Amino acid sequence: MRTIIPAAILLIALLAVPPFLGLGWQNALVNLLIASLFALAFNLLSGQAGLLSFGHAAYFGVGAFATLHLMIAVEDGLPFPTPLLPLAGAGAGLAVGLVAGVFATKRSGVYFALVTLAIAELFHSLAPHLQGWFGGESGISAMRMPWGGFVFGSLLEVYYLTLGWVVLSILVLWAYTRTPFGRLTLALRDNEQRVRFLGYDAHAAKVVVFTISAMFSGVAGALLAISNETANYALFSAHVSAQVVLHTFVGGATIFLGPVIGAVVFTLFAYIVSDLTRSWLFYQGLIFVLVMLYAPIGIGGVIRHHLRHWRSIDWSRLAAPYALAGVGGAMIAGGVVFLTECVAILFGEEYAVAMRDAGDTLPPFEMAGMSWDPLGPASWLPPILLLSIGGLCLHRARDRIKPLWDAIEGGAAKEGTR
Amino acid sequence: MEFAIISALNGVIYGLLLFMVSAGLTLIFGMMGVLNFAHASFYMLGAYIAYAVSSIFGFWAGLLVAPLIVGGVGMLVERYLLPRVHAHGHAHELLLTFGLALIIEEAVKLFFGDFPVNYQMPESLRFAAFSLFDTNYPFYRLFIGGIAVAMFIALWLLLSRTRTGIIVRAAERLPAMAEALGHNIPVVFMSVFGTGAALAGLAGAVAGAFYPTNPNMGLELGVIVFVVVVVGGLGSLKGSLLASLMIGLFSSYAVGIDWSLATLFDLAGLGGWARAVGGLITMEVSSISGTIPFVLMLLVLLIRPAGLMGERN
Amino acid sequence: MKKLSLLAALSAGLLSATVAQAEPLKIGIIESLSGAQTSSGRLYATAIQYGVDKINAGGGFNGEPIEVLEYDNAGGAPGAADKFRQAVADGVDIVFQGASSAIAGQITEDVRKHNIRNPGKEIMFINVGAEAMQLTGDQCHFYHFRYTTTAPMRVNALVQSMRQAGDLGTRVYSINQNYSWGQDMQAAIEAAATDNGYEVVDTVLHDVNKIQDFAPFVARIKSAEPETVITGNWSNDLLLLMKATGNAGLDVRFGTTYLDQPGNIANAGETALGHYIANNYDNSAGEPAFADAYKEATGHYPLFVEPQTIFAVGALGEALSGVDFGGGEIDVTTIAKALEDTAYETPVGPITVRPEDHQTIRPVVVSKVVRNAKYPADDTDMGFEAVNVVAGEDAIYPAQESCAMDRPD
Repeated sequence: MRTIIPAAILLIALLAVPPFLGLGWQNALVNLLIASLFALAFNLLSGQAGLLSFGHAAYFGVGAFATLHLMIAVEDGLPFPTPLLPLAGAGAGLAVGLVAGVFATKRSGVYFALVTLAIAELFHSLAPHLQGWFGGESGISAMRMPWGGFVFGSLLEVYYLTLGWVVLSILVLWAYTRTPFGRLTLALRDNEQRVRFLGYDAHAAKVVVFTISAMFSGVAGALLAISNETANYALFSAHVSAQVVLHTFVGGATIFLGPVIGAVVFTLFAYIVSDLTRSWLFYQGLIFVLVMLYAPIGIGGVIRHHLRHWRSIDWSRLAAPYALAGVGGAMIAGGVVFLTECVAILFGEEYAVAMRDAGDTLPPFEMAGMSWDPLGPASWLPPILLLSIGGLCLHRARDRIKPLWDAIEGGAAKEGTR
Repeated sequence: MEFAIISALNGVIYGLLLFMVSAGLTLIFGMMGVLNFAHASFYMLGAYIAYAVSSIFGFWAGLLVAPLIVGGVGMLVERYLLPRVHAHGHAHELLLTFGLALIIEEAVKLFFGDFPVNYQMPESLRFAAFSLFDTNYPFYRLFIGGIAVAMFIALWLLLSRTRTGIIVRAAERLPAMAEALGHNIPVVFMSVFGTGAALAGLAGAVAGAFYPTNPNMGLELGVIVFVVVVVGGLGSLKGSLLASLMIGLFSSYAVGIDWSLATLFDLAGLGGWARAVGGLITMEVSSISGTIPFVLMLLVLLIRPAGLMGERN
Repeated sequence: MKKLSLLAALSAGLLSATVAQAEPLKIGIIESLSGAQTSSGRLYATAIQYGVDKINAGGGFNGEPIEVLEYDNAGGAPGAADKFRQAVADGVDIVFQGASSAIAGQITEDVRKHNIRNPGKEIMFINVGAEAMQLTGDQCHFYHFRYTTTAPMRVNALVQSMRQAGDLGTRVYSINQNYSWGQDMQAAIEAAATDNGYEVVDTVLHDVNKIQDFAPFVARIKSAEPETVITGNWSNDLLLLMKATGNAGLDVRFGTTYLDQPGNIANAGETALGHYIANNYDNSAGEPAFADAYKEATGHYPLFVEPQTIFAVGALGEALSGVDFGGGEIDVTTIAKALEDTAYETPVGPITVRPEDHQTIRPVVVSKVVRNAKYPADDTDMGFEAVNVVAGEDAIYPAQESCAMDRPD
């Protein structure tokens, strides 16, 4: 009950709100849904089975291309219902995933990661040469055809189609974790040796998990193809594979919905920040590394940790240090952003021109609507203050939070033994 | 004949460059079990630092300073970052270094821009070593190869013939025992990681002056280097040398080959049919020479999953 | 910052709509502003902004200054599709893009579909740099305009000029990147052979931006004994090829198309001397006033893809000057028709639009890398010096048959 009610509220919101949003937000929501499904499918392999793939773009891309080929056939008169198009992506993801899975799961651990990376690179380097399949470097294109009274012309219709498929896939993936095979998947991660001793063929099981993961990645790719109506070999690039890794692990790989959290956070981050600053990929990498260092269980893991101990948390004592930590974190973020943007400007081409015009001295530069002197102490005081005071705040906050949490966890452990 | 000899030379040199980068990677992995995803980024960092230093203090200073700084960065990563995630397993170490690779790439773009930078070899090294069939063979190529060979010999001597090597190997096999014997194991690991990173930095400083120095060089070479270690067997220096040379030679020769699968079908009299099918079948080897390392890797995985020289999984 | 000003512009736009003011014309730049092609993307954006500022200084359009919105496609077609939808949401009328034919292919398809689904609210796509033939071939449509050359135009101008200068020889080698642009180049090099009295001794297509070591290719080139190597390679692929050739001491002349990309000359060093390039413009061929005015505004002389972009915006400005919506609703179809009829005068000759496929007929400038050039490249003592300006009608080729354009009535 406790999980069903929030889920129902969220679903109703997802159904009811978008018609009142602008096109920009509708588009962002479509991307967000696709990224969520992709991350979930990826996490089936990396989080649940413990097989870290750096090449999931391959199955995502294959799903997109297969769907487009089907769409082209529909355009040419094949009677196929538009809402069922993602089945093509699922089929392609399944087939390619099966073949790739047989190769990749021959090795485990870091080898597996490298092999998956190389398989995706193989697609990336071959795709532009295969005109018939992947349409060269400009890709292939099709148009959504009307079906059953729906035109599928507006973004809103695409959104509902995407929402339907994503929700359905999430339910299936969730149900999967409840099946005996889903349990076996977790066992593959935790103790492969034991799986073998229990009489299971670990290699075959891995191939199956790999294939299922690739299949749902293919569905995500198919949804992208339906929404974009084109696909090109850039879908196979290392960047796509990297994004899904980032989403999943920032969100939290050990929690079922963790990857969705990561996908939501980063898609919104990209939507809002990517036009604001050229350094947004740098910030993205920084966030990822910070999460890996300080919250290896991801955002989702941190949230679950709090929910678990909800009853024993004494918020009256925890709220103040949490607020302090928030302030400290914001100050450090501000300082880092300040420095990064300064570097971006000072080492940028425009500043090089300004420097030459000023006769090889360091002229003042514009940032955030203000003028800064690169040699003046007043320019470097704000970041230094932000970073040092922020660091101090965080340090103090940690010293106060840690004993409180130790008490909470100690209490929980005692309760457990009782 | 001419093409064959020149291509063999080029292939060997390119292979040796691949080896220079993969050696550090495989050293770190062999000793500590950490696959450093950011290794190719260290290579790039080496090239950029050498460029920055050499534009002020000259080429040789850059060549000297770059490995030191990159090695220092590597040591900091090993000392302060990796231990934080160590408890969460190797996957998290891999993810952390993956994140570092992203950050290094973006940071390089922040400081140096997206253009390739103008990192050049000094004029004193820009001469022909010898002339073969009227083609000059640049000395700098031999210089790259020579440094790689020197590195291989030095590493091998260090690990197998010196007391330091014994300690390092002991630290790898039985860390607790080595520590009990009074050796400072954390320092050993930190030095190994630093050495591996420095080797990548050196490779970048040397190769960056010959190949272009741009923000994509890390990713481009990195993928090939990963293929090298999978083919050669992670942790085996000899394996990565063999795999590097193989990939170097294959890539070099592939350029001159205009065969496609359709040529094979011709032998069976099916060439016409194959050409009508098109797609993969009619692609000439020369046009997809960049794909060859990946195909080689898949083949090795099929035949010998542990890699050419690797021990079992 | 852009987002903030964009938000400000949007809210200002909403306000003005309620008080029934004139509708401003909105230009959307969907460029690679992050990722590997950022440097080119920025040049396009700078040049577009410069051109629009000039139009706005002359009173703008429809009683309002023209608005420019920048979108970062992150260097890939999926990002471009995403940002195109954002641009539609922001009410953009005209999309500009140049870096990468793959992205242009995405945008032109998106524009075509948008226009089918939204009659009366069409969007126009002005392509300022994507040269793939199919954009004016089977992908062509009425709302796409290409304000740059294509492979046959560049190759025709290049071999004609090199032949006249006595630098072409009779043995030509074609090395190109294995994708549509490189294949177009190879086809154009082979097609121009008989008319220009040379033999194509060998052709090779290689992976795009993946080759670290071009020495094997140089070995192959050498064994074919060419006098001239013609290549459409850009960025690293060009640089590496020229460096490897220089290192091997191979004495050939290069005919190129993208040698003027910033950084190339500095990076290639003396190896670059004597090589040719066919391009849309070169400062040494045109008027100093044009180059100086641009430097005054942006801090540097127009280089690489900037001139063609300035011309495209200039042509648009001229087309707009003949259109009057009286401060009312903007009809993009009318603008497109006006642009089709516009002949724009550049410092090297006129640019006109061919109605069959919306390829521009335009002069091609062929120049050579020399020492002590008037406009030095990359702070070196070398630079380009124009050797010939091939008039538009001499460089153009017949419209492709694959283009079937539906015209609005």
